[in-house]
Amino acid sequence: MSTGESTTLLQGTLDLLILKSLATGEMHGLGVSRRIEQITGGTFVVKPGSLFPALHRMEEEGWISSFWGESENNRRAKYYQLTKAGRRQLETETRRWSRISLAIARVLEAS
Amino acid sequence: MDAELDSELHAHLDLLTDENLRAGMGRPEAERAARLELGGVEQVKEQVRHRRLGNWLQSVFGDVRYALRQLRKNPGFTAVAILTLALGIGANTAIFSVVDGVLLRSLPYRDPGRLVMVWERNSESRNPYNTVSPPNFLDWQARNSVFSGMAYVCDVRNNLTGQGDPEEVVVQAVSANFFSVLGVEPILGSGFTPENGIKGHDDVVVLGFGLWQRRFAGDPNIIGKSILLNGKPQTVVGVAPENYTWLVKDGSLTGEKPQIWTPFVFPPAYAVHKNMGRFISVVARLKPDVTLTAARSQMKSIASQLEIEYPDADRHWGVNVVPMAEQVSGSLRPALLVLFGAVFFVLLIACANLSGLLLARAGAREREIAVRSAIGASPWRITRQLLIESMVLAILGGATGIALAVWGTNALLAASPSNLLDLRAVPLNARVLSFSTLCTLTAGLLFGFVPSYFTAWSRSGQTLREAGRGTSATVRSVAARNVFVVAQLSLALVLLVGSGLLIRSFIRLVAVEPGFQVKNLLTFKVTLPEARYATDPARVQFFQQFLAKIAAIPGVSSVSMESFPPLTGLGAATDVHLLSQPVGPHGELPVANVRVVGADYLRTMGISLHAGRFFTTQELQEEKHVTIVNEAFVEKYLNGAEPLRQKAAIYMKSLTESELVPSEVIGVVGDVHQMGLDSMPDPTVYWPHPELVMSQMTILARTSGDPMVLVPAIRDELHQLDRELPMASIASMEQLLADSLARSRFTMLLLGLFAAFALLLAAIGIYGLLAYSVIQRTQELGVRIALGAQMDDILRLVLTQGARLVAAGAVFGTLAAVGLSQLMKSLLFDVEALDPLTLTAVPLFLALIALAACYLPARRATRVDPMVALRYE
Repeated sequence: MSTGESTTLLQGTLDLLILKSLATGEMHGLGVSRRIEQITGGTFVVKPGSLFPALHRMEEEGWISSFWGESENNRRAKYYQLTKAGRRQLETETRRWSRISLAIARVLEAS
Repeated sequence: MDAELDSELHAHLDLLTDENLRAGMGRPEAERAARLELGGVEQVKEQVRHRRLGNWLQSVFGDVRYALRQLRKNPGFTAVAILTLALGIGANTAIFSVVDGVLLRSLPYRDPGRLVMVWERNSESRNPYNTVSPPNFLDWQARNSVFSGMAYVCDVRNNLTGQGDPEEVVVQAVSANFFSVLGVEPILGSGFTPENGIKGHDDVVVLGFGLWQRRFAGDPNIIGKSILLNGKPQTVVGVAPENYTWLVKDGSLTGEKPQIWTPFVFPPAYAVHKNMGRFISVVARLKPDVTLTAARSQMKSIASQLEIEYPDADRHWGVNVVPMAEQVSGSLRPALLVLFGAVFFVLLIACANLSGLLLARAGAREREIAVRSAIGASPWRITRQLLIESMVLAILGGATGIALAVWGTNALLAASPSNLLDLRAVPLNARVLSFSTLCTLTAGLLFGFVPSYFTAWSRSGQTLREAGRGTSATVRSVAARNVFVVAQLSLALVLLVGSGLLIRSFIRLVAVEPGFQVKNLLTFKVTLPEARYATDPARVQFFQQFLAKIAAIPGVSSVSMESFPPLTGLGAATDVHLLSQPVGPHGELPVANVRVVGADYLRTMGISLHAGRFFTTQELQEEKHVTIVNEAFVEKYLNGAEPLRQKAAIYMKSLTESELVPSEVIGVVGDVHQMGLDSMPDPTVYWPHPELVMSQMTILARTSGDPMVLVPAIRDELHQLDRELPMASIASMEQLLADSLARSRFTMLLLGLFAAFALLLAAIGIYGLLAYSVIQRTQELGVRIALGAQMDDILRLVLTQGARLVAAGAVFGTLAAVGLSQLMKSLLFDVEALDPLTLTAVPLFLALIALAACYLPARRATRVDPMVALRYE
């Protein structure tokens, strides 16, 4: 990830971003990374060195599953999709994240 | 996994390149940019691997902590589980460390795997390990090409005098090459040289480490000094290493560890082939490229050549080549293997028991598991969590077990008679530790696998809604618990049958009448040194005086002596020619034990006189050529002829009949179990002391009270006669009898202990299953009671469920026992492996105990309150 924020915050953020981008449908690794760039307007650029460990960890947690498929221009690629547990995790993470950002926003307003 | 990641990353690289191409880059540039963005396939792979391992360790660690928390929450369950495992693994560790010490230990010789014992073996005799005649040894040595060296040893007791109290020491008289064949170097001095094997150069000794430390205070300048053995000066040329000893009980005359070694040079007469008697033990080292089979076949053909060349001496005599390790572990091997099998069974039962417990507990944990799987834990993940829980249990149990084993083994060894196990303490060596660790981990997987599998996979989403009440306990899980209980009962039954057989044999064994009175009989040895008691009359006179002195001590009711006391495994045998029968060559004549006795022998021993009379005072003072035979002799050799007044040439003093004066049979006495209660009495001839004057005799004193109390008084009398004579091998006959039964008693007690433990576990197993099932069926039982079922009906209902399992266990167990008890044949005395009494009584006993264990939950079932049960929903 190209930003200089703390890793603890980032891990949760990255998970949420990946889950969110997969919510619209199955996607390969590059797709996920481009989708995140696109929805954050280029704020977050996820490098493969962060992306792949995260994808594999989330697969182990049972939030996403993977399969081999064909890309737009007929290349073999590994696709990821949300599982039931992944959808629940997205909801939980979204709620948690909203609470945190709301709280932070309040702190900032208060000053 | 790695290959898949690799292709995933390469696909990613291709996608990136495509993207760049579309953006209008040239191919080389597009590929370069793609590689740059990816940051290197290997680096990314490394990051993924790193993250994965970290995650894995973290989650395993988390599982372990979770498991520990679970175990702490159920202290009762945890304690029972750990104790069960600790006993199972502890018993395995203890027996394995004894097996390791006795069967697997490496002998203190160079390359001990190449050492063999070479015995003679008479095809007419049961003894496979007969000592060897020196002429045969010389021929074997000259003719074989399979051994790089052959050595001999024979042990005697000598008096060691000078410097402190006189004491009797066990001396091994050996060939000069004995140490070099074994590959043992003395720690001090040079040991024996080939020159020491020549007459006139053989007044040298090697001291045992213990004797050197004790009697010579570890004197570093001992080499070259002189010691007095039987009054003869001998020069010390070496001290043996501390761990070095040589004790092969078969063939040993003393049955004790040596303290001194000295060369034994054969007199020239031994080279002339004559029947010299068989008394040396032979050890040989196989040449590096020669197999045991090859050595056996060559030695066999040499023995048959000798049989043809010297029919007088060697008819019926073959050869028996035995690997050293097998020889040393000897009679303990079958017992240890049976015990090893038994503890393995105990561990299996413990595992089945724990599996059952865990399955039962899974019922109580359904809710917890359901919650975990609802929030996304895969069945594999739950299986892993549960397996980690059983591994944690196993490791706790294993550690406790090893601690128990260290304590238990040493207690066991301290309690076992010294003549049984030649081990004083078992160190916890790497082999034993790895064995226990292996046991622990295997046990953890074994008892954890089935419960975790069922728990994790057998439920679907509905459990959460059903909220943890028993209804979803799956049929398969109950079936598995039934199987575990039946397995426990069958394994326990096998152990019980084995133990029952040993108990039956032991009862048979101790019921054997030894043929003499065991109680209140003191035995000890006295050896007269040749230097000071050179003539027969001097020896006869000494012993007569000594016996008279002992007889006068208050508390001694009678006293006698003999050459080889019973139950010590010692004896001498020879050919006997009854003159009323035709003479035959050696090897076809009757063979009898020869025992030399003193005055008052029959009364002192309590041996019955069946015919004729005992020796008169005159016959006990000078040679009158008389003998007494036992019933076994009469039965085996006389074919109904009248034994009294028979003349017998006893080939003890010479092997040429013309040099012998035949002895007249003047009496017949009852049989004595000379070699132990488990062996038949051998034909025996008794001689009064003057007929064959021995310088070593065992004194037998019949006392009115505890025989050991009289030892000081007797020692005083001995010292008044001769200050330099020690009393050796002091023991009561009761102690000798107990020692001779030690192996049987030891095996019986241990197997009994393991069988009892197995029975206890199996009873707990079936109790647990029924208790759980009664709780599961509370509602059903309540309905039955509400509808008018009587106490008896409910009792019968539950007991029937238990009885089915017990019956299955008894059937499978009996079948297994019938197969396995054959393996114990060599441990049994006078009982068949398929003893019908044991095979009926033991299953009944097991059934009784198991049904008693079922009765408790059945009673509880009858107390179910129908109102409570119905409201239970």
